[in-house]
Amino acid sequence: MARFLIPFVAVVLFFLEPGFSLYSPIEWHGHLYYLVPRFLILYLIFLSIYYDRKRAMMYGLIFGVLYDIFYIDIIGLYTFLYPFICFVAGSTVKYIHQHLAITTILSLVLVALLEIVLNQFFLLISFTSVPFTEFLNQRLIPTMIANSIYLIMLGWTFKYLIEARVLLKANQSTL
Amino acid sequence: MPQFFSNKRLILLLVGVILLVALISFTLRDRQASLPEQIIKDTVGFGQSIVAKPASYITGLVNNVDDLMNTYEENKRLKSRLEEFGTLQAKVNELKVENDKLKDLVDKKDDLRNFNPIQANVIARNPDQWEEKLILNEGSMNGVKVNMAVLTSKGLIGKIVQTTPYTSQVELLSTNNTNYRVSAVIANKKTEAFGLIEGFDPKRSELVLKRIDSSLAVKKGDKVTTSGLGGIFPKGILIGEVTKVSTDDYGLTKLAYVKPAADFSMLDHVVIAKRQSIAIDGSDGANTDKSTKTDGGDQK
Repeated sequence: MARFLIPFVAVVLFFLEPGFSLYSPIEWHGHLYYLVPRFLILYLIFLSIYYDRKRAMMYGLIFGVLYDIFYIDIIGLYTFLYPFICFVAGSTVKYIHQHLAITTILSLVLVALLEIVLNQFFLLISFTSVPFTEFLNQRLIPTMIANSIYLIMLGWTFKYLIEARVLLKANQSTL
Repeated sequence: MPQFFSNKRLILLLVGVILLVALISFTLRDRQASLPEQIIKDTVGFGQSIVAKPASYITGLVNNVDDLMNTYEENKRLKSRLEEFGTLQAKVNELKVENDKLKDLVDKKDDLRNFNPIQANVIARNPDQWEEKLILNEGSMNGVKVNMAVLTSKGLIGKIVQTTPYTSQVELLSTNNTNYRVSAVIANKKTEAFGLIEGFDPKRSELVLKRIDSSLAVKKGDKVTTSGLGGIFPKGILIGEVTKVSTDDYGLTKLAYVKPAADFSMLDHVVIAKRQSIAIDGSDGANTDKSTKTDGGDQK
């Protein structure tokens, strides 16, 4: 069961992201705030830390290509960034303690990094002219708040699911 | 630290980076989707439209609650305008009959105003929101073509920039794209002033209407509609209302800020306008360059 559940959850999150972005931007006190859902990459980071870096990178590559083709129309952007983030997340395993709280903070830091890299890229190709402070206030901070709520709500489920899978695999190999 | 990258890995990485940069620069250009891309888009779009159903239901619910909360104020405002409305309607009817008669008289059947609506649902919004794009569940199989106008009941929201057989992509008016132009007209009681919607001011959250003839009077509060002269859009779709008038950078023409009539967030149902009279390439399109090369376009 857990074997198919892991890719299935990834697919569901992939489809949920743009659904949630229909509610954004939200207007509050006359300012527009953009909430960017980053459900999938947070899940992939968890996968990379608790399960298998290589597999997480594979998922990152596949979903990155789909993301690029369907939404962005610039192929190569998420295709590179998703596996890269997974690679970084997986590489930290040796150096830090794998407690849920630490993983959560690490994932959020990596997502903030992703947002900043994307902002710089879109500035470079002049798709946007938003200065950095405005980007920080209008996008990065609301996005990070929304995503941390999401991760606090669902992070332990991911961990539970992935650990179930790891256990299953261990049992199979001992048999 | 052990050697982080072996030679083989390093070469692989370099080749990968070069390939990626090439791919990015290739796909950055304005282009229509190739066949494998179209297939992927349609497949993902199908899955997306299933997920979008409950999402659009929730959007509808939120909008309903929002409407309900504003009912009292809205009712007061509407009552005050009701009397005006009665006389206005009588006048409109009269004018319409007269207009039809006159049209019959001169044998004019084509009208830039007429369009066939194609109803569509929004199935996704570009999740990272750097580009203002929507994805709709109708595509070229249903007659959607690039550059058609997309509107809601409140007004114009954008135009189609890409189609696949079963999905299409809309770029919203609030885009940052400098090649995005819509031919518009400001109509008040005395004159009609033509201009082009060029760009969006993110600070004011308003559209910028440029190239208005400086001899024409444009006031705050004037309504801005599409002119239909760009070649693809039908005439008379409401875009918004003028909030500020000033001169442009060179002082030769006027510039107006337009508050869009339609709301760009929480979109679920939209209408794609397929114009009845013959469509031509023009300044409403992203392909302005092409039209200036071939026929000089119809920009002013």
